[in-house]
Amino acid sequence: MPIGPVAGVSSAAFTPLATLAETASTRGAASTQPSGFGDAVIGALDDLSAAHNTADALATRAATGQLADVHDYTIAATEASLATELTVAVRNKAVEAFTSIMNMPL
Amino acid sequence: MATFPVLSTMANGLSVFRTWMDAVGDNLANLNTVRRTDEAAFQARFVVAEAVDYGNAATPGIGSGSRVAGVAFGSAEGRLVHDPEHPLADEDGMVRLPDIDMATQMTQLIQAQRGYQANLAVVDRARDAYLAALQIGK
Amino acid sequence: MHDVTMSALHHALRGLSARQRTIADNIANLETPEFLAGRVDFESSLSAAVQAGDPGAAEISTSRSMAATGVNGNNVNLDQETLTLIETDLRYQMTSQAVSNKFGLLRTAIKGGA
Repeated sequence: MPIGPVAGVSSAAFTPLATLAETASTRGAASTQPSGFGDAVIGALDDLSAAHNTADALATRAATGQLADVHDYTIAATEASLATELTVAVRNKAVEAFTSIMNMPL
Repeated sequence: MATFPVLSTMANGLSVFRTWMDAVGDNLANLNTVRRTDEAAFQARFVVAEAVDYGNAATPGIGSGSRVAGVAFGSAEGRLVHDPEHPLADEDGMVRLPDIDMATQMTQLIQAQRGYQANLAVVDRARDAYLAALQIGK
Repeated sequence: MHDVTMSALHHALRGLSARQRTIADNIANLETPEFLAGRVDFESSLSAAVQAGDPGAAEISTSRSMAATGVNGNNVNLDQETLTLIETDLRYQMTSQAVSNKFGLLRTAIKGGA
C-alpha cells in the first residue's frame, strides 16, 4: 500500500522540546520539593551522611564509656551500613542504565 | 564501666557482700579470743550497707548498686567467764570473751553468701544480653 | 528503615535494658536497710504509642515497689527479682534478634537486585 505523508498531526498535540526544558528548569529552581533524579540523589547522600554521623557519635560515646545502652550503637551502625549499601546499589544501577543508554547504536 | 552499667552496679554489690563475708569470717575466727577483764572484749563487726544513689544524670530513676556505709561494732562488754587456769585470768579467775553467737554468725554467713551468688548470677545474665545486643546487624 | 515496627522494637530494647539495670540495682541492694525495690514500666506507654501510630513518643517510667518490707525496711524479693531478670534477658535477646532479622530482610532486598 502506498505510504502517504504524515498529516493531521497538529502542533497543539505535542509540546516542543524547548518548552519542556523551560518547565524542568523552573521546577528545579523551586527547591522546596525534591524534583528530578539529581535532587533525589543529593537528598539520599545527605541522609547517608547523617546516618554515618549518628553512628560515629554513638561509637565515640561508647568508646569513652558514656553510652549506657550498647544496642543504640549497634542499631545505628547497622542502619549506616545498610544505607551505604543501598546508596551503592542505586549508584551502580544508575551507572549501568547510563552506560547501556550510551551504548545504544544511534 | 558505664558502657555496660550492670557490670559496674554488680561490682559495687559484690564488694558489699564480700566485705560482709570477711567481717563474719573475722567474727568467727575471734569467737574465743580471750582478753583480760580490764580490757574491752573483741567486738563483733557488723557491715552496714547503703545504696550508692537512687538515680543519677546518666540513668535517671535507676540506682547504681550498693556500697558499705560503714562498720558497726558489737558489745565491748562481752561475757565474763570463769577460767582460773588461763594466763590472762584476773584475781577472781575471770576472763573476758566476746559476745558473739556462732549460730547468728553462721546465719549471717549464709545470707552473705546467698547475696554474693545472686550478684554473680546477674553478671552472667547481663553479659548474655550485652552479647545479643552486639550481634545486631551481623 | 524507620517504620513503626523498628521504632517499637528499639523502644522495647531501651525499656528492657532499663528494667535489667533496675533489677541489678535491686539485687546489689538485697541487704540494704530501708531500700525499696525499683520497678520499670514501659509496656503500657509503648502499646498506647503504637496504637496512636507513634512509637517514638513512648516513655519509660521508673517507680519504687510498695510491697511489704522486712525487719530492716528492705523489700527486695530475691526470687521475684531473679525470675524477672531471666524473663527480661530472654525478651531482650528475642527483641535484638527481631531487630537483626528486619535488618537482614532489608539487606537481602538491597543485595537481591544486584
